[in-house]
Amino acid sequence: MSLSTKFGDRRGALAAVVTVVLLVLGGGILARAATAPGPPPQPDSSQASAAAPTPATSDPAPAESTAPTAAPEAVVPASDFGTLMAPSAPVALRIPSIKVSTKGLVDLNLDDKGELEAPRDAQRAGWYVGGPTPGEFGPAVIAAHVDSSRIPAVFYNLGRLKKGAKAIVDRKDGTTATFVVDRVARYPKAKFPTAEVYGDTAGRAELRLITCGGEIDPRTGHYADNVVAYAHLVG
Amino acid sequence: MRTTIKLGTATLGSALLLTLGAGMAQAATSADGNTMAKLRPVALNGVDASGTAMVTVTGNRIDVTMAASGLLADSPHAAHIHFGAEARNECPTASDDKDGNGTLNTTEGGPAYGPIVVSLTKSGDTSPKSALAIDRFDTAPGGKISYERGSINVSSDVAAAISAGKSAVVVHGVDHNDNGKYDGETKSELDPKLPTEATDPAICGVLASAPSGGVQTGGGGTADNNQALGLALGGGLLLAAMGTGAFATRKVTNRI
Repeated sequence: MSLSTKFGDRRGALAAVVTVVLLVLGGGILARAATAPGPPPQPDSSQASAAAPTPATSDPAPAESTAPTAAPEAVVPASDFGTLMAPSAPVALRIPSIKVSTKGLVDLNLDDKGELEAPRDAQRAGWYVGGPTPGEFGPAVIAAHVDSSRIPAVFYNLGRLKKGAKAIVDRKDGTTATFVVDRVARYPKAKFPTAEVYGDTAGRAELRLITCGGEIDPRTGHYADNVVAYAHLVG
Repeated sequence: MRTTIKLGTATLGSALLLTLGAGMAQAATSADGNTMAKLRPVALNGVDASGTAMVTVTGNRIDVTMAASGLLADSPHAAHIHFGAEARNECPTASDDKDGNGTLNTTEGGPAYGPIVVSLTKSGDTSPKSALAIDRFDTAPGGKISYERGSINVSSDVAAAISAGKSAVVVHGVDHNDNGKYDGETKSELDPKLPTEATDPAICGVLASAPSGGVQTGGGGTADNNQALGLALGGGLLLAAMGTGAFATRKVTNRI
């Protein structure tokens, strides 16, 4: 009798301990899953094309408006490229509207297949060193992860970025390059528009912000799409 | 049964068509590409200038856009695309100063970037024949070049070399003695009527191919399935806790 009581007590205590452990563990995981930010936001299709009546932001308007001469000036072959900056590597990126503020950008190169490598550290953004520095003529490229294998990363909210938002790049020489977002689009990686993203920017200093998007491809374990934000220099 | 066979044939047929189509598309665009050169000061020549050149290759046609600043103002700056199968396909370094005079002239840069394949003139001929057509090159008002020229025809070999990232853009014209003009005793090795200042390479950059495809910038930790897994796992453990909890409570109740 006394034996069985002891045995029963022990079993009861063990059960209590197990209960507590399970509660803590289960509750913790559940809380994390419940409070987890969920899948990253994807760009709205309305953000994918530049606004039709492109406002002054997309054109180097000051150059035109300061010229008092009449409009039919098309004979002049010299093109004015508007605002451009001297080369200087980026050191920080701020996008206030989606609460991005990241310092210590890493250098990104091309891998053996000629593809742009991603930053090794999910909590750091990277700059493609083969391209222009942000502020120079051409498409400067900054890429960052949308998430790690556990938590959101630098560009988690990139898909939420809207046309007209500002992206501010601090540069090594102490100057700041401010860009305005023209559009945000999502592409299957298999149909990545290389020419659009990396091609000629017709004299403008532009910025490309790239991250992952869409669904996870079960075969590769990677996201199937890329989200790309296009922006141009305003000063 | 018959349906299955038909379906199989149809699938095979469309797969063939798809493969064929992809193959053809590739053949048509094999030389196409977007390239870009970061133009930086040529070694030893001490020009504080920089710029970017972008060249888009479509078949045998190239479209060029180039911006540069910091060059000698209001003076012609010959600019070319260079490529040589035997060249190193890069910009010259200090070790290319064969005559050891402390500066690099265009010929000394040859082993690095090769001969001229395209003259980036503002009008007229764009062949190597116009290499020194100084009246048709940009004169860099304010030290700046804003150059755009489309539909320049090149040979298939040149198009392929540019697409493959093997060519370089060189902008010439160096005011070595900083007196605001091209002058000096030393004549150009390319044209004795010009001072070497007018033809020495100022800024240079290799036209590198654009990255191919997208970027792998996600670990998937916040994607749908992981969240669902977390909810299921957490919920399951809580359910188990309810079970063991009930057992423990019963034991305690029993004792009382």
